Amino acid sequence: MPKVFVGMSGGVDSSMSAALLVEQGYDVTGVYMKNWSRDLPGMKCPWAEDLADAKRVAVKLGIPFEVWDFEDAYREKVVEYMLSEFKKGNTPNPDVMCNQEIKFKLFFEKAIESGADFIATGHYARTGLSSRLGDFRSAAARGLAREPRGDGSERRDPEWDDKSVLLRATDGNKDQTYFLYRISDEALSHTLFPIGDMLKPDVKKLAKEKGLHNAYKKESMGVCFVGEVGMKDFLKEYIEVEPGEIREIETEKVLGYHEGAIFYTIGQRHGLYISGNKGEVNDGMPYYVVKKDLNKNIVYVSKNLNHAEIWKKELHLKDIFLRSDAPEKVQVRLRHRAPLVPATFDGETLYFENEVKRPAAGQSAVLYDGEICLGGGIIAD
Amino acid sequence: MIYLDHAAATPVDARVLEAMEPYFSHDFFNPSAAYLPAKKVAADYEAAKATIAHAIGAKASDLVITAGATEANNLALNIVTKFKTVPSRDGSLAPVVTGLAPSFSVVTSENPRVAPFLNLVLYLETEHDSVRKVAERYGGVPIKVLQSGVIDLDDLRNKITDDTELISVSLVNNELGTIQPLAEITSMIREIKFDRLRRGVKRQLLLHSDASQAPSLIDINVARLGVDLLTLNAAKVYGPKGVGALYVSHEVKLNPLTLGGGQENGLRSGTENVPGVVGFAKAMELAKEHVNGNRKKYATWRKILLSELQGYELVNKKHTLDNFVVLCYNGIDAERLIYLLEEKGVYVSTGAACAASKGKKSHVLAAIGLSDSEIAGSLRITMGETNSEEQIREAARLINEAVTSEKERLRNA
Repeated sequence: MPKVFVGMSGGVDSSMSAALLVEQGYDVTGVYMKNWSRDLPGMKCPWAEDLADAKRVAVKLGIPFEVWDFEDAYREKVVEYMLSEFKKGNTPNPDVMCNQEIKFKLFFEKAIESGADFIATGHYARTGLSSRLGDFRSAAARGLAREPRGDGSERRDPEWDDKSVLLRATDGNKDQTYFLYRISDEALSHTLFPIGDMLKPDVKKLAKEKGLHNAYKKESMGVCFVGEVGMKDFLKEYIEVEPGEIREIETEKVLGYHEGAIFYTIGQRHGLYISGNKGEVNDGMPYYVVKKDLNKNIVYVSKNLNHAEIWKKELHLKDIFLRSDAPEKVQVRLRHRAPLVPATFDGETLYFENEVKRPAAGQSAVLYDGEICLGGGIIAD
Repeated sequence: MIYLDHAAATPVDARVLEAMEPYFSHDFFNPSAAYLPAKKVAADYEAAKATIAHAIGAKASDLVITAGATEANNLALNIVTKFKTVPSRDGSLAPVVTGLAPSFSVVTSENPRVAPFLNLVLYLETEHDSVRKVAERYGGVPIKVLQSGVIDLDDLRNKITDDTELISVSLVNNELGTIQPLAEITSMIREIKFDRLRRGVKRQLLLHSDASQAPSLIDINVARLGVDLLTLNAAKVYGPKGVGALYVSHEVKLNPLTLGGGQENGLRSGTENVPGVVGFAKAMELAKEHVNGNRKKYATWRKILLSELQGYELVNKKHTLDNFVVLCYNGIDAERLIYLLEEKGVYVSTGAACAASKGKKSHVLAAIGLSDSEIAGSLRITMGETNSEEQIREAARLINEAVTSEKERLRNA
C-alpha cells in the first residue's frame, strides 16, 4: 500500500482529497500544516478552527492525523519575502511562494522522510508524464493523466519515474496551476491531486453525500493569513509608511494624498481619496494608478484607461522557472482564473499578440502549452 | 443526544425561560425611565438582584451585574488600579487613573512587565484565562497547586508580601471540579491583615473567588467563605448566557471598567439587562433549592461512570464536585474520542472548551503534573440536569466503545 501524506486544511477540497485516497486504498495520513496562527487586530486567525475541522474529518475517515509546524519557515520564506517585495513597490503573490517553499518543499521533504511514497493536496490541478506529453499538447486531454491507484487494480505505471508534468485541472474555473507553477519536479513527481479531475460542484456534492461536515464551509478567499482583514491592514501592521502625493500623470498636478505608495497597484482603480473641486478633477470619471515613484513617494494616476503605462504588448520576466522547454508560441495566464492569452516567449520576454492590461510587478506570468503548465516567471517591471 | 459538557454551557431551564419572557417585549422599559411601568420594571430588576444576592448570603446592593463571568473577573482584578475621583465638567465625580494604571502594552507570561509592586496580585495557577490574563497585565504571580489540584497553602503564604493586595482563587476549578479550601485561605489572610495592622502597613488584602461552576452543587455563603469579591455566572446554572455578577463586600471600593449612565452604583454603566437578570435570579433560586438533591444524584452517577468505564486513570480523585469526571486514557488522543463520540450523539470535552480550540495544552492539567501525553489523553465529562441514570450508563458504554476502536486503530497502524 503506497503511503500518502495529505495536506488537510479543514476545507472541503482537501477533506475530499483525503476521503478519495482512503477509498482508493492508500495508506493515508492527514497533516495540518500550521503556517500562521497570529491574530491581527480585529481579526482572529481561524487556524484553530481549521485544524479542528481537518482533524474531525481525519477521525471520521479513520486515518492518523498530525500537525506539522512550519510557522518559522513560513514567516521567513513567505511573509518576509512578501513584505520585502511590497517595500520595493512590487505586488508579490505569497500563495505561489507558499507552494514553492512550504507545501511542496518542507511538507514534501518531511513526508518523504516519514516514509511517504506520495504527498497529496486538495489543489485543482493534475499531473501527467512527460513521455505522454503528446496527449496533452492538443486541447481537452481530459482523463489522460494517469496516477497509480493504491488498491493495486492499476499497477504503478512503469513510466512513472519519467519526468512529471503539471496539467491544468479539469475544472477550468478552479484550475490552480497558476499558484503551482514553481513547485519542483521532484515534488511534483511524488504528488497526487485527487480532485484534479473533478468539478468543484461535484466535489461539494460528493462531500455532502459522504457526510463530510465541511461541505458547506465557507471557502477561504485570498491569502490565507491575511484573511478578511485585507492586505492593506496586514501591511500596516508590519511596514511603516509615509503619506505622499497623488498626482495626475499628464499634468503633474497634485490631486490628493495617499497613505503610503506601497498600498497602490498599477491599474488599480479603487482606494484613491482624491480631493478637489467638483467638475475640475472629480468629473465622475474614475482614476487609475499608472505609475509609482517610490523614491519621491508619489503615486501617479490618470483618467485615461488606455494609458500606455497600463496596456503593454511586452512583459519582462525574472526568476523564470520552466519545467520543460517552452515552445516559442505559448499561452499565458497573468492572474489566477484570468483567460489564457497567446504570446511568443524568447526565454526572457513575453510578446503578446494583443495588448494586455499590465499586471503589477511581482505577480506571476504562467505559461501553458495546451493543458500543460510549462512554468512561468515573475513580472519584472 | 447525551450531553456531558455542562461545565461549558447549560441549557436554559424552562422555568427560567418563562420568568424571562415578559421582559423582552412587554415589560421592556428602561428601568431608568420616569413613567410608572418603567419604575415597575426597575423594581422587578432590583427584586431579581436581591434574589441572586440572597442565594449567596448577600444584599442586592453588594452585587454588580455584568455581561458574564469574564467581565466580572476583569472588574474584580481591576481593583488594584488606583483611581481618585475628580469633579468632571457637569459637576459629577469622574474617576481618574492615578496610581498603577493598566498597561496596555504587551504583557505576557513570557514577557512580564516589571511590576512596581512585589506580588501585587496573586492568582491560582489553575485559574481560568479571564483571571490569568488580567492578573498577568497587573504583574500577577501564580500560586501553585498540589497534585490534587488543591491550592498549595505554603506557596501562597510564601508569596504574600506587604505589597500584595489581591488574591484570586476560584471556588471550583472549571476543568477539574476541584473545590478550593477558601475558608483556610481566609483565615491565613486574617492573620496577615492583623500582622500588617500591628506593623502599621495600611495596604488592603482582598480575596476574590470565581464561583461560576459552584452554585448547583455548593451552598455558597459569602460571609462563611470570607471572600471580598465573588464571581457568578448565569450561563453555568441553567440561566441565560451573557449575564454574570460580581459580589463586592461593602468595605471594598471597586474601580469601574465601564463609564456612562451610572447604573449598578456607577460601577458598571449600561442599560440593565432586565430579562437576563430575572432569568439569572430564577436560576440561582432553583440551584439553591436543589443543591442537596444534586449532590446525591451526581455522586451516584459518578460512581456508575467510574465502575462501568474501562481502561482509564481517574484524574480528579478528591476534593471535587461530583458532576465532574476527568479521565485519562494515556496513549490515546482524547480529541479523536470527542469526534468519534460526536457521531454517536455524545458530547464531551477535553480540558476547557476554549483551551481545546486553540490547540494549546491545558495549563490546568499541566499544573497538576500530568505529562503531555496524559494531557492529550484526558477527557472531561461534566454531568448535569439534561442527564438521566440511563444516559450515564449508555454514555459509559459508548465511551468504552470509542476507546476500544481507537486502540484497535493504533494497533493496526
